[in-house]
Amino acid sequence: MMILGPIGFAAPWLLLALIALPILWIILRAIPPAPLRQRFPGVALLLGLQDDEAVSDRTPWWLLLLRMLAVAAIIIGLAGPILNPDDNADTGDGPLLVVVDGSWAGASRWAQAMEAVDAELRRAGSAGREVALLHLADPDAATFQAANAAVARLAGLAPQPWQPGALSDMTDALPDGSFETVWFSDGLEYEARPDILAALQARGPVRVTQTGASVVALAPAIYEDGTVQLTARRSAPGPERGVTILAQGRDPAGNAAILASANAVFEDGATDAQTALALPSELRARITRFEIQATRSAGAVTLVDDSLRRREIALIAGREGREGLELLSPLHYLERALVETADLLDGALGDVLPANPDVIVLADVATLSGGEADAITEWVEEGGMLVRFAGPRVAASDISRAEEDPLMPVRLRSGGRSVGGAMSWGSPKTLAPFRENSPFFGLTVRDDVEITAQVMAQPDPTLAERVIAELSDGTPLVTRKRMGQGQIVLFHVTANAEWSTLPLSGLFVEMLERLAISSTAARPAAEDLEGTVWTPQIVMDGFGSLRDAGAMPGVPGPRLVTDPAGPDLLPGVYTSTDRSLARNVLTADATLVAATWPANVPVSGLTNRPPQPLGGLLLALAIGLLLADVIASLALSGRLTGGLRGSRTASVAVALALAMPATDLRAQTTDDTALNAAVEVVLAHVITGDRQLDEIAEAGLRGLSDTLFFRTSVEPADPIAVNLETDELAFFPMLYWPITPDQPRPSREAYAKLNDYLRSGGLILFDTRDGDIAGFGSASPNGRKLQDLAAPLDIPALEPVPRDHVLTRTFYLLQDFPGRHLGGEVWVEAAPPGAEQIEGMPFRNLNDGVTPVVIGGNDWAAAWAVTSSGQAMLPVGRGFGGERQRELAYRFGVNLVMHVLTGNYKSDQVHVPALLDRLGQ
Amino acid sequence: MITPTTLRAQAETQAARLPPLLARAEHLAGAVLLGDHGRRRSGMGDDFWQYRPAQIGDSRRMIDHRRSAMGDVQFVREREWQIAQSVMLWVDQGAAMRFASGPDLPTKADRARVLSLALAILLIRGGERVGLTGTALPPRRGNAQILRLAEMFSEDAADDYAPPEHRAMIPHARAVFVSDFMGDIDAVKLALTKAADRGVRGVLYHVLDPAEEAFPFRGRTIFESVGGTLEHETLKASELKDRYLSRLAARKDELQALCSVAGWQYGIHHTGSSAQSGLLWLWRALDGGVART
Repeated sequence: MMILGPIGFAAPWLLLALIALPILWIILRAIPPAPLRQRFPGVALLLGLQDDEAVSDRTPWWLLLLRMLAVAAIIIGLAGPILNPDDNADTGDGPLLVVVDGSWAGASRWAQAMEAVDAELRRAGSAGREVALLHLADPDAATFQAANAAVARLAGLAPQPWQPGALSDMTDALPDGSFETVWFSDGLEYEARPDILAALQARGPVRVTQTGASVVALAPAIYEDGTVQLTARRSAPGPERGVTILAQGRDPAGNAAILASANAVFEDGATDAQTALALPSELRARITRFEIQATRSAGAVTLVDDSLRRREIALIAGREGREGLELLSPLHYLERALVETADLLDGALGDVLPANPDVIVLADVATLSGGEADAITEWVEEGGMLVRFAGPRVAASDISRAEEDPLMPVRLRSGGRSVGGAMSWGSPKTLAPFRENSPFFGLTVRDDVEITAQVMAQPDPTLAERVIAELSDGTPLVTRKRMGQGQIVLFHVTANAEWSTLPLSGLFVEMLERLAISSTAARPAAEDLEGTVWTPQIVMDGFGSLRDAGAMPGVPGPRLVTDPAGPDLLPGVYTSTDRSLARNVLTADATLVAATWPANVPVSGLTNRPPQPLGGLLLALAIGLLLADVIASLALSGRLTGGLRGSRTASVAVALALAMPATDLRAQTTDDTALNAAVEVVLAHVITGDRQLDEIAEAGLRGLSDTLFFRTSVEPADPIAVNLETDELAFFPMLYWPITPDQPRPSREAYAKLNDYLRSGGLILFDTRDGDIAGFGSASPNGRKLQDLAAPLDIPALEPVPRDHVLTRTFYLLQDFPGRHLGGEVWVEAAPPGAEQIEGMPFRNLNDGVTPVVIGGNDWAAAWAVTSSGQAMLPVGRGFGGERQRELAYRFGVNLVMHVLTGNYKSDQVHVPALLDRLGQ
Repeated sequence: MITPTTLRAQAETQAARLPPLLARAEHLAGAVLLGDHGRRRSGMGDDFWQYRPAQIGDSRRMIDHRRSAMGDVQFVREREWQIAQSVMLWVDQGAAMRFASGPDLPTKADRARVLSLALAILLIRGGERVGLTGTALPPRRGNAQILRLAEMFSEDAADDYAPPEHRAMIPHARAVFVSDFMGDIDAVKLALTKAADRGVRGVLYHVLDPAEEAFPFRGRTIFESVGGTLEHETLKASELKDRYLSRLAARKDELQALCSVAGWQYGIHHTGSSAQSGLLWLWRALDGGVART
């Protein structure tokens, strides 16, 4: 490949053809353009005409230039130009070792790094070198093999959530012999890096590739002063940059959600960014992890353990401390021990239990009332911890003497033991070292803890397993029993310093911590975790994704805190009995240091400019130029515009240039019809399935709408066909329902909708359309169908329209309601039996509302039907009488719609004088 | 290519807009055939002309008794002098006529045929006898003649420039020659001379394509005649335009001079303009009184 500046040519010898271009120019210039053959009858008149000059029409120079450019573009395009060619001019010989750091720091750019490794392997393969792959964080023995095999192994590489370990792990992973090394570094400094570099340099030249970007990680979250302190760190100081930290957790429904987010800004040149998140405690308790947005690496994720939660502890004392004598108060030392790390609840037991505290401490409380005892028992069984301290009252009472009290872990001996007092027989006792099965195992027993008096436990078969702390002579000091999901712990001494110096010492706080009474604010030091074993619950991989730990082995406490992360100490959440501790990639005091390489190691960045082939572009350009040449030639020979057949080609070219995309028509959606129906008054008819009937029904309602529009103030929009199954009925004041025997029966949901519609004041006009041949009833198939359809409907009792029904006078004064047929009966809701005519009024006041149904057989839609031009569609009657009948049918329709819209408005007394006038009385 | 039926239909459309044509004959000689063509004077026709008092020499049978009963004098009903006029048509069927410069222009042959047939229909409606020059279709009356004319018009001749058919011209008839007259001018001269000898008066209708008038060609061109017999090559067509146009004008002038000598009328029609205008001109030309120059 020949490289000419930023462009490399794959087939450079083709460029020799460019020499031919000037020759082409000369040839083309000399040759006149091809003649046009033209059919022309006037040639008879042309015969004998000579050309004035023997100069031929030359091709104009710009057309030649266009053609030259097109040919040049073709030649260069075929020569295969490539922008940013990767010049591997310095590919060496011999085996190549590709070393990948593979720690969490490279996880965010893992895909890019893998692409670069892949390119390197392929280059080595094309040069015929053997390659080996070494993953420093997860070292396997690296053997030299063909590049293809190494490329296949590449897919199995994944970043690990720890930094590479010591050199000693890798020495046997390094292959023998001398080799060149390409090191894809993550950019972070770790302890073993210089040693590994030295070892590799001893074997051959080393080349390093790393991104210049700084690695961002999150330090563990700390809860102090009511806010959660978050610290983000980056490896290299740089310009100002903001990162968003998200708090991920579960929402109350249990779904994973982002609960909060905070912005941390790295100042110009700073490597730390801090931010504080103030959250209510319920939200805090639900957070599972913090992560930096859009960074996919284990370092950017901080897992959250109990440290963010504060336990709620209720302290209840048997006797109140007198003011001024706080030091003697039973709760004083407890409060001092717990106030910083827990929320303390004060109050009576009855008030405190509904608040569901995590721990209830009863300091020297002997007897509890039955209700209180039951409540506490229930609470303990659901997972609460009851801590009881002994005292004079407990010693003086007879609780748990004869038999074990449900709320005491052991039976007590009557009379406490006073040691070192007036009647003691020995010196004050000290604590024995804690046993292995005790939660206090690993705590150092201090000499300043002396016990002078305590209540004694009665020896019982179950005593041995309930003792978790004892004196040096084996007397139980702290006993515990489990009840349900909770536990009851009894300290056999007082909570203040009366009987022992335990509350005065730091061991007290530690013991409370061990019992998970207090929540740890600061990270526990290694000594605090002495003797505990922690099993992982959730672990994290290099990309920061969490997975269940399964059956991974436990880790001793001190190692959890001090050891660096490794294959046997994955970052994650570890639990031990009731406590949970999160081990993150970054400890609280760890800093990120960018890797620095000695001067003799060439460092390059990941190439982010891939080679770009330009051949396609140039060939496309050539085609464009040739098209332009075609158009120009046509123009020159006069065929493009104004020529004999030129308009055809011009129109073709124009049509090719403009390709108008067809706009798709959007039919009116159901939302639009619903909107239309809701905004305007719309008459609706029920779809029966019989197309002709539906058309007549729609035409009828259209005619009625037009009549209403002309004569009244009701201005309906176009009628709508209603599908009872799918459409919403609430928009329509009236439903016209023509009956045919083969209509589909509506479904149950449709009937429910119809009943709702009727109940909320809608009106259905049933039209059996056979008023000329049958009366109302089952005499005709339409009538039977009507009975069948109307059976599930909530229809009141019906009667034929009485002479003083409001329907007869809502707009016009009518007495019969003809449609296409005359004389059929019309049925409406029956009047209540007691309706009487008031003196002076020409009508009775019948129903208050609108009759829910009007049933008849006069085929009103056919009488109302108009064509789109406004003429009557179907004949009614004969001659003038028929037109009169049609007019009366319209009047009935108007009356009906007025009745629907206004109810019994016309039954008002205010209309009586006018009505009396009109009725001629 | 227009089929006979469509040709007739188009021609009927054109002719439907004009009143029947009444051609005027200047003098009668020889055998006179009675026809529907009224001569605005009394004669032996069918239509009523006037009543005149009976004179000595009229046979008694000619007295119109109805009119005479109104007065004392005997009246004789006179009938109009009706005579049938012969019109002979010739349309150039040569290949040069089958040329159109654009897709939306009719070929010259189409336009010529439509105009001629429309004219024929008008004449036949007016009672004239229409036919073709030559012996193929002598002038006859009747609608069937229109069909025959349409059929004859649809025949194409093979040669490029057909000379006008001048044989079998009926003396003192009218003639209409429709052509592009691009061919040999001597043939036209011969035809007109013969026609003038026979006393045939007529119309020379020059049908041209707009491209032939404008000569919009540029560049290196080889011009061919439609029939392929003639060819002319040029290196720069735009240079020829002026000289071609002057030649065309000279041809037109020649034709005009011939017509004025022979007592014919000369008209130019371009296929770009409407056929209606052409037909109007033809109608007026045939209906006009004195021969116009």
